[in-house]
Amino acid sequence: MRSLVRIGRVAGWVLTATCLVCVSAWAGGQGFGDDDDNSEEEGPSYFGFVRDTKGGTVPDAKVTVSLKDRISIVTRTDALGTYKVPGFGKETDPNDVAVSCGKDGYKQLRVVRRPMSSKDPKIPIETECTLQPL
Amino acid sequence: MRKLMFPLVAVGLIIVLGLWSMRAGAQSQFGDANAEPAPFNPQMAAMMSMLIQPRHAKLGLAGQAENWPLAQYMLKELKQGFAITARSVPRWKGLPVPDLFDAAVSQPLTTLEYGIKLKYRQQFDEGFAKLTEGCNACHATTEHSFIVIKVPDASAFPNQSFQPKP
Repeated sequence: MRSLVRIGRVAGWVLTATCLVCVSAWAGGQGFGDDDDNSEEEGPSYFGFVRDTKGGTVPDAKVTVSLKDRISIVTRTDALGTYKVPGFGKETDPNDVAVSCGKDGYKQLRVVRRPMSSKDPKIPIETECTLQPL
Repeated sequence: MRKLMFPLVAVGLIIVLGLWSMRAGAQSQFGDANAEPAPFNPQMAAMMSMLIQPRHAKLGLAGQAENWPLAQYMLKELKQGFAITARSVPRWKGLPVPDLFDAAVSQPLTTLEYGIKLKYRQQFDEGFAKLTEGCNACHATTEHSFIVIKVPDASAFPNQSFQPKP
């Protein structure tokens, strides 16, 4: 009788634990995408277009994103004329980050940062750089 | 009797949890049949599959057949598809969708518009190739370069003729 009670007790715990695990797994469902999002730790990324004076986008332009006196990241615009650089850390003040652009046969005309529409770290700091043909 | 209490409680708990999990299981991963209908809120992939990709294909087929009224109509539909998508999903993975669409397709759409108005096949083909390039450039920018759009070489619409009406 005693061993029967013990078996029942062990079986009870095992089944209870199994049910609890199954129910919580089903309730949570599954994630869909954005698993690689590190914006919480990295702070907002830096994104923008490089355009010419007619408003057309400029592919393969050199874009430098610099954190005041500390680090500079150089990238190039893609076929759509966009660049994207990861954030420098959530403690970084975006006002300390400067963007500049260049391309052979052009000079930088202006750099305009768009006002931030949200404090959502997933939304990048958007800066548009305009190049003028030489 | 006291020794039997724990197994009895455990069995009771198992039954309750079992019924609960069966209820959760019966609800299906796709939702609850008895829930209030939710507003339809398609995301980017659905918008692309519903409003953009088929219209891009139909526009291409209409132009290839030199069915200019249909091409004109599909161009308008495609533009509306982009506008609706940009309004419904203004930001995707943080990126500004209206600006991406503008950079990717505005210029080719204008080229296409003139090609269709002039009934000029070569300009249509150039515009359509640029439009398709723009789609793929945008996919690359949004880290979806594995979705490759091409000029249609066959119709996926067996119930529609793309030939001009005689």
